[in-house]
Amino acid sequence: MSNNVFVITEHMNGKFSDVSFEMVGKAKELASALGGQAVAVVVGSGVAANVFASDSTIHVDDAALEQFNPEAYGKVIEALVKEKSPRLVMFGWTATGMDIAAWLSARLGKPCVAYGRDLCIENNTLVVNSQVYGGKMIAEVAPEGDMAIVAVLAGSFPAEAGQGSTAATTVASPIALDGLKTKFVEAIKPAGGDVDITSQPKLVSIGRGIGSKDNVELAEELAQKLGAVVSSSRPVVDAGWLPRTRQVGKSGLRVKPKLYLMLGISGAPEHLEGMKSAELIIAINTDKKAPIFNVAHYGATNDLFEVAEAMLELL
Amino acid sequence: MDIVVAIKHIPSIADDLPVKGNNVDFDSVDFVLNEFDEQSIEQAVLVKEAVDGTVTVIGVDLIGELDNILHLALAKGADKAIKITADDPAASSHQQAKWLSDAIKSLSPDIVFAGVQASNDLDGQIGPMIAAYLDMPYIGGVSSVEISDHTATINKEFSGGFGAKYAVSLPMVVGVQAASKPPRYAPISKVRQIAQTATIEKIAPSGDASAGLAFKKMAAPVATGHAEMLTGSSKEVAAKIVELLKSKGLA
Amino acid sequence: MLTSIEKIIFILLALTSAGFTIHGFKTIIDSVRKGRSAPELKNVPGSLIKAGITVLFQRTILKARKILSVIHMGLFFGLITYAFVNLFDALEGLVPGFTLTYGGAHLAYVPTGLVNAFNLISDLMSGALLIAITVFLVRRFFVKDKALTFRDNVLLNDKVKAGAQSRDSLIVDVFVIMHVSAHLMAQAFRLDQGADPFMPIASFLNSIFGASQIGLHVAWWISIGWVMFIIPYLSRSKHTHFFIAPVNLGLAKQNPRGQLDPAIPLKVPNGNHYDPGAKIITDLSWKRILDSYACVQCNRCQDVCPANFYGRPLSPSALEVNKRYLLKEATFGSHPDRLLLPLTEAVISPEAVWSCTTCYACVRVCPVGNEPMADIVDIRRRMIVDGAELDSGVQNALQSLATNGNWMSKGKRLRGRWAKEMEFSIKNATEEPVEHLWFVGDTASFDERVVPNTKMVARIFNHAGLDFGIMYQNESNAGNDVRRVGEEGLFEQLVEQNMQAFGKAQFQRIVTTDPHSFNTLKNEYPQFGGKFEVKHYTVTLLKLFEEGKLTIKKELSHYKVTFHDPCYLGRYNGGFTAPRKLLELVGVEFDEMPRNCENSFCCGAGGGQIWMGKVAPGERPAENRIKEALTTFEKNPSDKKQLFIVTCPKDMIMYSDAVKTTSNESKIEVRDIIQLIAEAVGVEEPVLTQAVTSPA
Repeated sequence: MSNNVFVITEHMNGKFSDVSFEMVGKAKELASALGGQAVAVVVGSGVAANVFASDSTIHVDDAALEQFNPEAYGKVIEALVKEKSPRLVMFGWTATGMDIAAWLSARLGKPCVAYGRDLCIENNTLVVNSQVYGGKMIAEVAPEGDMAIVAVLAGSFPAEAGQGSTAATTVASPIALDGLKTKFVEAIKPAGGDVDITSQPKLVSIGRGIGSKDNVELAEELAQKLGAVVSSSRPVVDAGWLPRTRQVGKSGLRVKPKLYLMLGISGAPEHLEGMKSAELIIAINTDKKAPIFNVAHYGATNDLFEVAEAMLELL
Repeated sequence: MDIVVAIKHIPSIADDLPVKGNNVDFDSVDFVLNEFDEQSIEQAVLVKEAVDGTVTVIGVDLIGELDNILHLALAKGADKAIKITADDPAASSHQQAKWLSDAIKSLSPDIVFAGVQASNDLDGQIGPMIAAYLDMPYIGGVSSVEISDHTATINKEFSGGFGAKYAVSLPMVVGVQAASKPPRYAPISKVRQIAQTATIEKIAPSGDASAGLAFKKMAAPVATGHAEMLTGSSKEVAAKIVELLKSKGLA
Repeated sequence: MLTSIEKIIFILLALTSAGFTIHGFKTIIDSVRKGRSAPELKNVPGSLIKAGITVLFQRTILKARKILSVIHMGLFFGLITYAFVNLFDALEGLVPGFTLTYGGAHLAYVPTGLVNAFNLISDLMSGALLIAITVFLVRRFFVKDKALTFRDNVLLNDKVKAGAQSRDSLIVDVFVIMHVSAHLMAQAFRLDQGADPFMPIASFLNSIFGASQIGLHVAWWISIGWVMFIIPYLSRSKHTHFFIAPVNLGLAKQNPRGQLDPAIPLKVPNGNHYDPGAKIITDLSWKRILDSYACVQCNRCQDVCPANFYGRPLSPSALEVNKRYLLKEATFGSHPDRLLLPLTEAVISPEAVWSCTTCYACVRVCPVGNEPMADIVDIRRRMIVDGAELDSGVQNALQSLATNGNWMSKGKRLRGRWAKEMEFSIKNATEEPVEHLWFVGDTASFDERVVPNTKMVARIFNHAGLDFGIMYQNESNAGNDVRRVGEEGLFEQLVEQNMQAFGKAQFQRIVTTDPHSFNTLKNEYPQFGGKFEVKHYTVTLLKLFEEGKLTIKKELSHYKVTFHDPCYLGRYNGGFTAPRKLLELVGVEFDEMPRNCENSFCCGAGGGQIWMGKVAPGERPAENRIKEALTTFEKNPSDKKQLFIVTCPKDMIMYSDAVKTTSNESKIEVRDIIQLIAEAVGVEEPVLTQAVTSPA
């Protein structure tokens, strides 16, 4: 057993995601409290991995790992973790991390905490804050045993602390990667033709509160008047009311507009992840206890349709 | 095709969640079906309609009210319903995944669907855990599934419209983000008819798995900041917003 | 009068005509018998007699289009008279020497006075008929009254589109003109001894054409020949109305207006399996198949339909017309398979089905007792069971109703939150006995725009010392609109949930602020064992005034108000007087809108419309209603503040919205009647000691 903190980093097209750096930064803090090392783990093929401020970086390099493959990545990470026995394994609670963290926990019989928001060491014990129940509750839990797996929400820590240039040690896959049942077929790119909401200075974002597909028009009208574009939270896209290219949040896009006007979005952590760094956030939601009001700069609990219609008249 | 859908009955977050000790006061909350499970049930039924098979829906009955959910699933096109009678509203994802896995194993399914996540997945989601316990591959964040020649073609979403297509030789576990079509409406008359005629198989929980988490505290988040609230009639609020936007050169 | 050969021809023609007529009516009866059983009718002979009297006095058509209705009376009484006229014409033809001219002087056994009276009536009625039919003819073919046409977006049978209705009308109009003219000519030719003072029109014609035996024969044959043709023709045209309308009225719905027929008839013949609602025409009850034969396609229902006003593709009359033509093609024509056509293809478009607000105006106005609205609900019922794709807003509402018991996706426990915010405590009726169980309803419980009024009702009840309580999270949506949207299973589920809640409670009567809840609790819950005394809050408030428990402290003469009758309080349940008496009590100046009481115009929210995601373009019914109110006020201008008073939470939302969308905020304000009462009684909202919002 070691007191090392492993960070399973994420990359796409050769670029690491913010959450990787965020985790490395936090891992350094935790590792020093534990008296161990912060180790960045890069699984892939030929990745330029010398970008972290970690104490060390392991790059598992294999042609079979060129693209994210939950089965292959999971097996590699499992073998590595078994071999190195870190005290803590950190994943991003992201599209890729979510596929492996809980799986690894069940494989190894080690505890797992999802929706991680913060971690700290109290009396040599790891304590994790997890943002559960759609952000309505914070659970404070201590994983038992000698190893813990924690999947953290993106945007929980500053990314800068994780950026560096630690040289990566490239190793071969610790496990044979033939006979995989999962085969990567092809990458899917965003459907062309639609606007890119990440480059828009103003967004009118709609959530479940919009009620139905036809009310989307009202938001479109308001957006047009404001010179903005309509974006949304996940349920609106899942219901088929807007294309997936308009989705803000964990499974959608991360945006940083000058104006983020929210109509009927309560503010689940997954959504906050995608928009909380917007410069001006105005939220209209009838539930005065909605978590969004802890993040927005301005809020109102009026009927969103009334406000939107009144705004249309004024603009 | 033997299709299994593993579902989770979870506390509703439509209301405030009362706390008892270091956890949610499960006696004072309503339980609802995990919203992603609605998507996974729909996806399973769509697959069944495409390839001809049977859909078995299975869940852990935590508070003795799972029947309603299972009847709804049957009305939406599932063929068989199983409940694991646990009567433990605080059962962890690990524990539920273990019970479900033991039950699912005997069904020898070709494919298992689960919701990609649930709002109470403190210790992780049941989908990947079932995959681990049953030694099957897992892919989550899935938005479409097609099956031919005992191989599933899966679309997984990363973010912002990026994703990847995978081919997986069955059996496997799929974590559904969104079904390829929005979930259908099940007429309540059908649900009620099913409630009267359908039999739900009951099985006792078997197998133990602990989340290994010691609860220290459960509480509503302490806000670090709060929005400045705009009050008044909708007209007044709209005027204030427009004024604000104009002052910042945004309108 | 007739020669032997003529008599033989006449008898042969009469037999042939009778044969076709019998075949026609048998076909109609057979088609009606294909329908499902209808709710049991009590005392059918009694109702038929009552309907006969109603028809005789033409009561039901006078509800609308007064002038045309009077002209219809000319036609009606004219044709009744002509039944006798033709009988005597036939007798005159067959019985040698039999004639009624000159008082039937040679008929020793008949009093001359009676014959003269009959002659005078039939002579004048002939004139009335000619005038009436000419008016109708001019209206349809020259003035081209729009009321007789359909919107382009309304589904219409191909034959109707090709003008079959007009052709049908033309044939019958021409028949009446030819027949009556020929009869008058025959009478004129009969007058071989000059004018008969009791036959002024015939005498006038006689003065021009003189008497003539040949003329008499020719005219007689034209007159009677037409009858031989027209009687069998009628059984194949929309003019079955002449015979079926009175019968249909006699067999009309006897249950309360607010009680829908069951989705599956209570009586199902042995061996039959019935799915709920209606997919094809024979899934309708026999009575509602008969409706289409009674309908003369006058379109009065279309005139009053709020969906039709709004430009939606719904016309209740087109529904009946299409049913009629579908039946004709299937039973008289060579397309029996058309009976199996889905109603949503042959009779009414799905979009039209989902446009109905179930306001009951079409049923109320129908002179012949038709229920197109009930057909629409039955079609919805089957569409839902068959898994038709629903409007996304409706699907959301239904899903929420199934899980949360309200359509607003709010947690059950939040239902009583408004009550917990009050400055006094409100009893939980499921925990302690109360006299009045207040059934609050979804909108009044959850909608931030309505909750202040809900709280004010509580304050007034409290102020008056009324012993009342609410059921907090035990209350579910009453299900009125769920049932009307066609989700019968969900309705039953909601009824069961509420019945369980009522079972826990001890109370003497239910009071409700929501007319929709009021309707189903009062009229439909009894079928599920829930026999309660149910009051609308306007009635309860009035009683509190009458008992002196509420007293007026301040007359509100500075307001000029009008009042909108909610469909489910007014038209459905006759609750017209209590709100008006309350307005009188508080001392406001009251102006009645032209469309009031039974004839009130729907706000457009009922029957699930408020859940619809789709907002169609065009002037909405509620907007039109606000304009109606303003026009009413303009007739009697004053400087007073003008108010639009409502007694339904949905109206509060619909009309507040309409005032804004029509930009009339400066002219009119929508208020619940409780706000006026609060002001008059002197009950105020408490001043908040704490800020409304505090950082969490």
